[in-house]
Formats: sequence, C-alpha cells, structure tokens
Amino acid sequence: MRASNPVVEVVGPRPRRGGLVLASVLIFCILILSAQVPARGRRGSLLQAWILTASAPAAITLSNLSRAITRAFDSGAELLTTRSENSRLKEEIVKKDQELFTLRARVTSEELDQQLLAGSSVLPQILTAAPILLVENRAGLQSAVIGAGAQQGVSVGCPIAVPEGLVGRVVTVGRSIARAQLLVDASAAAGARIVRTGEVGVVRGDGRGRLRMQNIPTTSSVQPGDRIETAGIDGIYPRGVVIGGVEKVSRGSLFLEISVVPTASFSQLIDVLVLAPSPAREDAASGGKGAQP
Amino acid sequence: MKLTRIGALLAVAVALQFFVGSSSHRSAWPVDFFLLATAVVARGGDFVRAVLVGGAVGMLEDALSHELLGMNAFAKAMLGYLLALLSMRVMFGGPWAVGGALALASLANDLIVAVLAALLLQAPVVLLSRESLWRATATGATGGLLEAARIFPWRQWWERRQLRRLR
Repeated sequence: MRASNPVVEVVGPRPRRGGLVLASVLIFCILILSAQVPARGRRGSLLQAWILTASAPAAITLSNLSRAITRAFDSGAELLTTRSENSRLKEEIVKKDQELFTLRARVTSEELDQQLLAGSSVLPQILTAAPILLVENRAGLQSAVIGAGAQQGVSVGCPIAVPEGLVGRVVTVGRSIARAQLLVDASAAAGARIVRTGEVGVVRGDGRGRLRMQNIPTTSSVQPGDRIETAGIDGIYPRGVVIGGVEKVSRGSLFLEISVVPTASFSQLIDVLVLAPSPAREDAASGGKGAQP
Repeated sequence: MKLTRIGALLAVAVALQFFVGSSSHRSAWPVDFFLLATAVVARGGDFVRAVLVGGAVGMLEDALSHELLGMNAFAKAMLGYLLALLSMRVMFGGPWAVGGALALASLANDLIVAVLAALLLQAPVVLLSRESLWRATATGATGGLLEAARIFPWRQWWERRQLRRLR
C-alpha cells in the first residue's frame, strides 16, 4: 500500500473552462432558488420581487401617463352621460343591498357549520400507511420521502404520524411518492397543548432531533413528564395526536422555555400513517377553488 | 471519466441512497453517496464534468428532500469544482488524505446549505450537529476505504497468496 501522507505536486492545468461552467451552474442555481423563495410578507417569489423592483419605475411612469389620459377622456365623456349614469347607479345600489343581505345570512349559516366541523376533527382519519423511502437531515432541514402519493389520496398538508406520535406533514405530492417535512425540522411548527394543564402553545423543531414548546406563560405549572399533544389550532394537524413529553422547563424572559422529547422515534422510522388533512385546510382549499373564476 | 461510467455511478449513488434511506438503521452509517459520486468524478480532474455532475446530483437530492431546488446543487457544484481543483493541484497519496478531504467537503456542504437556508428561508442556522458530524465521519471513512481499496495492489497480493499455497 502506498504511503498515506499527501504528496504535493503542482500539475498546472488552467481550469478556466471549469470556472466558467461553475459560474454558470451557480448563477443557474441562484436564479432557480430565487424563483422559488417567497419574498418577505409572502408577496410572491424573490425573483418576481426583483423583476417587479427593476420594472417599477417604468411601470409607474406608464401608469401615471395612462391615468392622466384616461382622466382627461372620462371628464369629457362624463358631461354627456351624467343623468343616465345617475339613475343606473341608483338601481345598482338597490340590487347590491339585496345581495348583501343574502350573503350575510349565508355567512352566518356557514360559520355555524364550520364550528360543527371543527368539533368533529378530534378523531384523525387515516388515509393510508406508507413506507419511508428516504430520510434527509442536513443543516437542520429534515425531511422524508414516503411511498404514497396522489394515487393513494395523499395531498399537500396531510399530517403523517406513527402510533407513538406525530411525525410531520406532507409538503410535496407526486403520483406515487410524496415528500414530508418532519416535525423536528428547524422550520417546522405545530399548535400544541399541554394535556394536564390544557395550555396551548407552539411546538417547534430545533433541527437536532428535539422540540421546543413556546408561548407558554411563566405562570404555568407545566413540569417534566407532562404529555404534549396537537391542539388542532393551526389548520394543519388534527387535535389530539401525541407529540411528546416535557423534558425540561426553564424560565425565559416572557415565556417558559420548554424542551420536549418527541415520542416518535425519528431516527428509526420505517412506516408512517398518512392522516386526512385538517378540515380547516380542506375548507380553505375548497374555498380557494371556489373563488377562482 | 466516460459518460456511461458517470451514468452508472449516479445510478449506483441513487440506488445506495434509497437503499440506506429505507432502512431503519439509516442513521448508523449515514454516508452521503451523492457527494462520493461527485468526488469520484472530480478525482479525474475534469472540472466541467465535476461541476455538472455535482450540480446534477445536488439537484436530484434537492428534488428528493428539500423545499427549494438548488441548495444542494449549488453546494455540490462548488464542491465538485474544489475537489477537482484539489485533485489536480495536490496528488493525494493515501486514504487518510482522501477521507479527510471528503469529511471536510461533507461539512462544507452542510455549511453552504445552512447559509442558503438561513438566507432564503429564514431558517435557523444549525451547524455541527451530531448527525452532521457523524455523516462527515461516515462519508470520509467510506471515501478513505474506497481509496484504500483502489490503490491496494490486488494482483500482487493474489500472486503472493498463490505462491504461498504452492509452497
């Protein structure tokens, strides 16, 4: 076997072409990433935000010009059509008032229906069981590829769990596989409830396999060993699925800092149960579809 | 390295990644096979292929496991270039150097992804976690073992063994 010490030898090729390819690939990656990243305040992608910013001066100038021309044209036309316009508007207002009355009544009725539906989400419905195909844990981002997809009725937002507790939620769905964000991911969160005290807070992953519970006031009597379960308040996870147990409680400035050990063994996942999405999410999805023309 | 070989290498890397990833013991020896594939191509010293293969396997890894396409592609394209540069400028003399370089590359991959995730997703930066260090160790050790197997004089060893039997 050769010696294990590295021998330094300058060979001397010029990796200029490789550098150009590297620059092209990196720029391509940045553009792709930018196209996907939501801008601050979720106003669209970062690439869109950049394009909008760059085109803003021209767009504003053109808009001002267009408005000025339209205003001048309208003011001339208004002089001719004022009387007929006035009577038409009065009729429209009467019609709108009638519609508003009907819509208000419908909204009240639907709110009652929603309250009933929320109450029925205590028992999570299992869609299917799926094998874990791949688990990725890099830089606090933890995800899993599961062997069930749209064919099995899985949709974005479906919670996944094992009998021991909650595992995460589906974020991307393919035909027969789906990608899920694990609850221990550094950017994952779930509305949670301390079973003994009934207090509600937010459980977040720390990217290192543990969870933290936040927003519990310092007056709480929570103690190590208390069980934490989903609260059903986030519109993603159904109520009553076990998350973990309190490991350590320490006092923060405003809230308690609670360390939670997940009951699901994330390092040894083999199969998971895919649950039906929260009724609130389904409502939102159907409402969104209904709003489309 | 020929394109067919690169294709076969990528297929093997994907197969191994899924094979290990499906096991319940995936965290026992969490080798980054995509990084190993990039390093194998980069070892040939072809910058263009190293960058393209790094970008391709990184994109595949992103598609399988990340919210944003491009984070691992960015990291692995950069690492492919650096490893190709390293293999051209410095002739590695043994498995320890290869293993060390791969372990460092694995940590650098995590660092780049963490920085990109913090910048683009406002995700908290998680560096040098136990899993990350263990993956770097496993990837480095596997790379070192592969290098040791590659440079081992198998033919001489076999001939010596045959001679010993004849005596």
